[in-house]
Amino acid sequence: MFAAFVHAAPDPQAVLADSDAVRNPAKPFGVTVTLIEYRSSKQTESNTLAIYSKADSASGQYRSLIRFVAPERDANKLMLKNGNDLWFYDPSSQASIRLSPQQRLLGQASNGDVVTVNLAKDYKAELLGEEDTADGERVMRRAYKLGLAAVSPDVTYHRVEMWVDAANSRPIKARFFAESGHLLKTAYYRKYQPQLGRERPTEVVIIDGLDPSWVTVLRYSDYAWRDVPDAWLQRDYLPRFKPG
Amino acid sequence: MRLTTMALALALALGYGLSAQAASDKPAAPPDDLDALSLADKASEASTQPARPWRLFVEGAVGRGRLRGTDPSFGIYRGSIDFRFDDHIAPQLRAVFSDRLDAVDSDGIPPGDNVNTVREAYLSWARTDHQIFDLGRVNIRNGAAMGFNPTDWFKANALRAIVDPDPAVLRENRQGTVVLQAQQLWSEASLTATISPRLARSADSATFALNVGATNPSNRYLVAGSYKFSDKFNPQLLVFGGNDDPAQVGFNLSTLLGDAVVAFGEFTAGRGTTLVAQALALPEANSNQQRAAVGLTYTTGFNLSLTAEAEYNSAAPSGDQWHLLPASTQQQVLATAQALQDLPTRSQWFLYANWKDLMVRRFDVSAFLRQDMQTSSRAFWLEGRYAWDRAELALQWQVFSGSEGTVYYAVPQQQTVQVVLRVYL
Repeated sequence: MFAAFVHAAPDPQAVLADSDAVRNPAKPFGVTVTLIEYRSSKQTESNTLAIYSKADSASGQYRSLIRFVAPERDANKLMLKNGNDLWFYDPSSQASIRLSPQQRLLGQASNGDVVTVNLAKDYKAELLGEEDTADGERVMRRAYKLGLAAVSPDVTYHRVEMWVDAANSRPIKARFFAESGHLLKTAYYRKYQPQLGRERPTEVVIIDGLDPSWVTVLRYSDYAWRDVPDAWLQRDYLPRFKPG
Repeated sequence: MRLTTMALALALALGYGLSAQAASDKPAAPPDDLDALSLADKASEASTQPARPWRLFVEGAVGRGRLRGTDPSFGIYRGSIDFRFDDHIAPQLRAVFSDRLDAVDSDGIPPGDNVNTVREAYLSWARTDHQIFDLGRVNIRNGAAMGFNPTDWFKANALRAIVDPDPAVLRENRQGTVVLQAQQLWSEASLTATISPRLARSADSATFALNVGATNPSNRYLVAGSYKFSDKFNPQLLVFGGNDDPAQVGFNLSTLLGDAVVAFGEFTAGRGTTLVAQALALPEANSNQQRAAVGLTYTTGFNLSLTAEAEYNSAAPSGDQWHLLPASTQQQVLATAQALQDLPTRSQWFLYANWKDLMVRRFDVSAFLRQDMQTSSRAFWLEGRYAWDRAELALQWQVFSGSEGTVYYAVPQQQTVQVVLRVYL
């Protein structure tokens, strides 16, 4: 009888997987991402990317083709991301160059920040507690606080703290840590709107861990289901990628 | 734990109000986060524009140089128009046109000239997502290395005007080869077959010449296949040859070492003549030749990428052989190596650095050093480039150094400095 009143602890890995499903459409899709970067409250950079993503049937992790749309000097350059397998292609020189994860093309945002990632595939989640926290709209939300530990050495962040809305599995915010333990960045997931069948965040605000005046806003728009054949997701297709 | 959480929730509720509205009065996020979120609230909601199918920029350069000799100083003045179009003109049919006009006025060596380079002009038909055909002038570029690409066979005689020695720019500002090409793709593999027919025998230096004699001097073929064994192991195997070119086999590979290092290498082997024989048009029997480039690129946490590459060409003269050549022949060999984009001597080191956002956002510094290991001479290039949204300003400095008789002493220029302004239209 008493047990009926005890709040059953949720399975943290399932909570994480559910929050992944909020961010990530289950079928291949396309989205436009606009990055606006601020230093000391002044806009310093803006980039627009068109992204095509598809989950790998074997690993469950997303593979993405990223086309630079703006600024003009970078327009139509491409990046292929499949985990840590990263290729950069410049149509002017026809050169496909392998990048290391450390090579950042987009200022503060790591290459992995802008594309879809299934955290539940790369991290082991632990429930650290249940607490009220302010979301990106400054609204208090009851949230599960998860501690994520990397299960693969190939991930961008060694450890993550993530707050997931207890009511609907929406990711609220996350704090990303380096192996040394220092805070790399904080991300707020906000401006939820109906996109591709459910409410999804259409904006992520990233705050640098060392310099909080360094802020990047990622805006997601133009969501659409897209056919992304497996043959597109390899280096030798990059010169051919020209969606109509 | 539960109690603590409840107490914290109660404190938060008391402190910041229970309702969402109240929360916005006294929010419960760290002050830095609130500042950031307020900033994001004010970010413009500008609509995203699709990328234009064309790119057009004009570029102007002014510089001074110094030649080796008694009357060394010279000026460089350049104006360039650069255009590229790439779009679908019908379902499954893509058209690419890329052209650059350089008008150079210089009293140095080489003297100024007006040169138009039709870099690419081709149609690409995607019969399916997995099968694509190209017809026209295509800049076919293979190779995993940065400073010297043995498997990039169509680079030979592809340069019409050298306005920037950066290897990435040299790969861009060159004439493609007129080809018929087919590519078949699978989920993990690709196979490309290319035929480059003979269209003319000799190069044409007229300003607006298509210059197919330089890019299509004989019937040639290239077959390139790759298979992705894993994310880190995706090698490419190539076979190249033609009427005037004995078959060559090539291999490309790059892989990741940790999260900050990329290792790469490329290698070719086949029969051919020496560089000296090619430069002097000497009759010489073909012999086995090998070319290779291997290296590492390391990227720091502050966006500085450093590349070290070892380069080898068995067809080029060793140091002893180079020193036996008369000065005029050395210049011929160097000019031939430059035209073929081949190594002028047996071995070199190539070091490249690129630092993005150095000190200030949008300011990049790049530099390379070509250290000739046979004659102890070097070519050095340094560039600082600042980018606005629609313009770039660059300062470039190039130096060729070495004692008399060395490879880079044979370059007529001792050094050049130029300022380059590019404006996107």
